[in-house]
Amino acid sequence: MVLLHIIVNGRGYDLQVGADPHQVDPAHTLAYTLRETLGLTGTKIGCNHGGCGACTVLMDGVPVLSCLTLTVECDGREIVTIEGLSPPEGNDLDPLQRAFMDHGAFQCGFCTPGIILTAKHLLDRNPSPDAETVEEALSGNHCRCISHYQVVQAVLAAAGTEADRDED
Amino acid sequence: MPLPKFEYLSPKSLEEALQLLADRGEGTHLLAGGTDLLVKMAHGHLKPRAVIALKQIDALGGIRFDPGKGLFIGATALLDEVASHPDVKAHFPSVAYAAQQTANVQIRNMGTLAGNLCNAAPSADNAPVLTAMGAEAVIAGPKGERRVALDRFFKGPGQTVIEPGEILTAVHVPVIPSGFGTSYQHVSPRGKVDIAAVCVGAMVGMDGATCKEARIVLGAVAPVPMRAEKTEALVRGKALTPEILEKAGRQASEEARPISDMRAGAEYRKRMTAVLTGRALKQAAEAAAN
Amino acid sequence: MEPFQMIGKDVPRNDARAKATGTAAYADDLKLPGMLHGRILRSPLAHARILHIDTSRAEALTGVRCVITGQDIPQVKYGNWRLFPDTQDEYALAVDKVRFIGDEVAAVAAVDKDTAQEALELIDVEYEELPGLFDVESAMAGDAVPIHDHCRNNTSVNRKIAYGDVEKGFAESDYVREDTFRVHAVSHAYLEPCSALAQLDLDGRITLWTSTQVPYIVQCLLASTLEMRENDVRVIKPYVGGGFGGKMELRTWEFCAAFMAKRTGRPVKFTLNREEEFLAGRRRHPMTIHSKVGFKKDGALVAKDLKITLDGGAYNAMGPTATFLCGNFGAMLYRYPNYAFYGRHVYTNKPPASAMRGFGAPQSLYASEIQMNMAAEALGIDPVDIRLKNAQKSGDKIPDVATISSCGFTESIQEVARMSDWKKKRASLGPGRGIGIGCYSFISGGVFNWFNTQYPFSAAEVRAFSDGTVHLLTMASDIGQGSDTALKQILAEELGLRMEDIRITSADTAMTPQADLGSWGSRVTLMAGNAVVDAARKIKERLFGALSARYNLNVIYEMECREGRVQPKGRPDRGMSFGEAVAMVQKASRGEPLVARGSYTPRDKGLVTPAFGFGAQVAEVEVDRQTGLVEVKKMWTAHDCGTVINPKGVEGQLAGSIQMGLGYALSEQFVMEEGRTLNTNFLDYKMPTALDMPPGEVVHVETYEPEGPMGAKECGEGLASPTAPAISDAVYHATGYRCKDLPITPEKILEGMNAGGKKKS
Ligand SMILES: Cc1cc2nc3c(=O)[nH]c(=O)nc-3n(C[C@H](O)[C@H](O)[C@H](O)COP(=O)(O)OP(=O)(O)OC[C@H]3O[C@@H](n4cnc5c(N)ncnc54)[C@H](O)[C@@H]3O)c2cc1C
Ligand code: FES
Ligand code: FES
Repeated sequence: MVLLHIIVNGRGYDLQVGADPHQVDPAHTLAYTLRETLGLTGTKIGCNHGGCGACTVLMDGVPVLSCLTLTVECDGREIVTIEGLSPPEGNDLDPLQRAFMDHGAFQCGFCTPGIILTAKHLLDRNPSPDAETVEEALSGNHCRCISHYQVVQAVLAAAGTEADRDED
Repeated sequence: MPLPKFEYLSPKSLEEALQLLADRGEGTHLLAGGTDLLVKMAHGHLKPRAVIALKQIDALGGIRFDPGKGLFIGATALLDEVASHPDVKAHFPSVAYAAQQTANVQIRNMGTLAGNLCNAAPSADNAPVLTAMGAEAVIAGPKGERRVALDRFFKGPGQTVIEPGEILTAVHVPVIPSGFGTSYQHVSPRGKVDIAAVCVGAMVGMDGATCKEARIVLGAVAPVPMRAEKTEALVRGKALTPEILEKAGRQASEEARPISDMRAGAEYRKRMTAVLTGRALKQAAEAAAN
Repeated sequence: MEPFQMIGKDVPRNDARAKATGTAAYADDLKLPGMLHGRILRSPLAHARILHIDTSRAEALTGVRCVITGQDIPQVKYGNWRLFPDTQDEYALAVDKVRFIGDEVAAVAAVDKDTAQEALELIDVEYEELPGLFDVESAMAGDAVPIHDHCRNNTSVNRKIAYGDVEKGFAESDYVREDTFRVHAVSHAYLEPCSALAQLDLDGRITLWTSTQVPYIVQCLLASTLEMRENDVRVIKPYVGGGFGGKMELRTWEFCAAFMAKRTGRPVKFTLNREEEFLAGRRRHPMTIHSKVGFKKDGALVAKDLKITLDGGAYNAMGPTATFLCGNFGAMLYRYPNYAFYGRHVYTNKPPASAMRGFGAPQSLYASEIQMNMAAEALGIDPVDIRLKNAQKSGDKIPDVATISSCGFTESIQEVARMSDWKKKRASLGPGRGIGIGCYSFISGGVFNWFNTQYPFSAAEVRAFSDGTVHLLTMASDIGQGSDTALKQILAEELGLRMEDIRITSADTAMTPQADLGSWGSRVTLMAGNAVVDAARKIKERLFGALSARYNLNVIYEMECREGRVQPKGRPDRGMSFGEAVAMVQKASRGEPLVARGSYTPRDKGLVTPAFGFGAQVAEVEVDRQTGLVEVKKMWTAHDCGTVINPKGVEGQLAGSIQMGLGYALSEQFVMEEGRTLNTNFLDYKMPTALDMPPGEVVHVETYEPEGPMGAKECGEGLASPTAPAISDAVYHATGYRCKDLPITPEKILEGMNAGGKKKS
């Protein structure tokens, strides 16, 4: 019996590889496993072909598309989904989540988990980015509703570098 | 769509991988970052019987730079690693730039440079400049290792010289000789982040204002990234004046054999071949001077 | 007017926390025990008769629980234009024919998605292929095969508007021009693919959770297609990941989920994949627009004759509305003393076009705005000045449509011109640089009752509690635009409460008051907002009565709800808390809770809309004259949406509109070959990314719309129109290339420049 050990949002899971309903089939994507097997539906599927960024999660701190990642390839990896950025109850939200709320940086919100996680990695790497750096970082995350104006502001605000963009 | 079912194999060594490849035979595919392979599977264009993942093979990872031998980019080195590697940025700026221009953050964190080449899309961002620089594919197979220069590597859309049973282990980029410079240029008519409609890689060797040597590779204008040999001949031995650059552009666009598809029409591709060839030669010449 | 307490404030969205933490549940996130997964078999042919379908192999596959075709279901046609049953032309699954590639033929429900998918491949369909009609010209040709038997000439809707005398108008004009424009189809590309989950309860009733903009319409049409009673169908809208007009009809998967839940007794969920969305999804109507306009020398408009042919695709969908509205918008923005419109909606063998943000306006206004600029140039008048000269104003009457009430159009034009430094830039931008203008007007909800609802257009119920809280119930659908938040703000303002004092339940047809026509046509703020105000005022009447009795107040006192209190104006000492007042009312009626219903249906507002939004936009672009690449450097917007209820919400609408407008103008299109959509993924269907978005600057022109709640009107859709003409005009200014067939591609620009587009010095 092949076992996979995956850490998701700080919790370790030992998953069996196989074709039974409760097992991980090699053909399962990480997006599928997160949503269907682990019940973490905060990760969204907008296309399932790598084109929209909605399914972005952090793998060992780096944003990847969970719809193009095989779960069997995640053995030993540490995954963070939107649910893992902060506990859903309580007030200790990630500064990014706070900033997104304060800036109304979403409408339908379907793109939001992916965008927040991509932004998280950007700020980890570059704590004070300028607007263009943020736009570049988010260019793999589609948003059809507000398309990034308030999103960019929110990311800059979370970084504490809210710039001239506000007035633009 | 759900992915079709397949057998998943994750060898730890190159030998093991080659063995599995031989054992499983037809319908077995190699998996690097999966950003091409899984997309094809998701669209139902590809139904592999077995998938051999390369990531667990330590020998295939990493990027090595040796001032004498040049750059070795391992088969599982990510596009992001190539784009941000200090040695690549310092000594092979156009290689780093091309990797940086490929797709977006997430894809660069998943996809490999080797996968980009092996996938052999005519528009592959990393092919033109590497080909122009005389890079070669290091290929391991049952009969040992062989090296194939990239200008003989591509056979057609999705096809390379890699035989069934073989694995590309690394891409070797020779040191850029002094007096030489490189450039990568691409154009995507539908927005800043898009697959290139035309891309051009160039390496030129300059002697003062005169171009001694030029290698020009055109992407997305033929079934494979192609050398523009007549254009190379045209500029060789000439000063790269605006007139020569324009002529070179025209020559390159004559050599190009583009098709019309969703991204651009053939006519536009020809025009862009001219524009980008001129720009690439100019930038490469400037780089050579520095 | 008194300053507002809650209106115009950036209160956080009602759903902010749920969305920022990933806990907001969309339809595909829902799971029920024993749930089956459905998949739809789609036609590979554009036009064919179905001779025979054999589902036996699929049914035999382990794990398959139910397979249905058009022969298994009640053969009831449906469509949103219920008032005219002739226009209802769709079956949930094809019965006799398939009419486009992707048309729905059969459905499978199985224990998991993989099995359902596998079963699809085991369904054998025998077709007799018919000639495909892929453009309106061939569909309208005399010998064309009818796509629907009831419609011999393939023209399903005709619409004429005429007033004044256009011929006389042209005769009196100093300058007349005629142009033909072609605009293309684009995708809504909402990020959440459609999804629906149906459950059968023990009494045989259906509950459907679905990603929709129109729960009430889905409820009614689902009931009729299932041959059930309306009240036996409950539709709940969970969080919805955008719609933009693409989720405003009953759709096959909603029907199939419900029908198969009835058949199997198990919950059934369908979730589309993105390829299906692009292959077969609704889209914006392509149109051929022939426009003839006449002007006086001084730029005064005299007459317009507009002929539009809509490429409707295989079914009517919301095409009839688009046909009406593109005609109405042809006469908007400027005063056309003489106007004629002839619109035709034509069937073709392509995926049906339907409502999409702007509903006919982006197409129609693209043509009028560009033509206006062409005329301005010929007459030697600045594009801004010619607009100011002809701009509609408050009080203008549009025959058969309405009298314009609030109108900040002139101010909007002046504002964008000022912000963008128009005069200077138009005269002096360097080579490759250009600046252009586009304007819009849009409706705040429709009046014409095509759905033939028997209920008010919008309704609200407010329940007040002695703990100082209220519960707002409304069928209005928040699909991301933020209507839950806006309606709460309106209620909070009216009742003097805080946002946290209001609980909201929305868009559940069994729990919220009948009815609400849904989220489309920019109707929700005005219509549902008015219903909320109506209900709130009824609550206030009761509270004021109690207060009056308690303090034995003189009848002439004016009273107010403010900051959690109910009090006579100017006499806070004689007031009490909101909760105390509620308790008194409740006591006075022996425990009966304090509940009030409100509603809104437009009356005496013509047939189009109760109120119009207006605005103007200026784009500055830089064109690389070698590659033809366009970079939009900046967008300036000035718009009149009446009172701004939630500034961040309005700005979000604006930003989204710019993104869609940018895509419409420059990068988005369906690549079609013989009726097949070739670009069915996000790599090939090219939406603008964060990097493509230009910086923007916005001014809200203040007006007060008497018909709107707190003076508000539309802001969600109008702005989908001006971006493309503004960019197009800027490209012309930069290069001399005038785009009469969208999208503007680098190829067209280079060709246009070659073909002697005048070189700007
Ligand atoms: C959203 C998106 C955007 C993209 N944008 C771009 C872009 O802008 N420019 C661009 O050029 N590409 C783009 N791509 C394509 C793709 O990301 C790149 O080609 C990437 O570099 C592929 O690398 P990979 O490691 O993911 O390859 P994989 O998918 O793992 O492999 C690709 C192919 O190569 C074979 N292969 C992989 N490694 C080896 C090996 N060592 N030996 C032999 N065969 C091997 C595989 O079997 C497969 O056939 C995009 C893809 C997506 C999904
Ligand atoms: S769902 Fe993974 S990129 Fe769209
Ligand atoms: S908020 Fe709807 S897609 Fe981004």
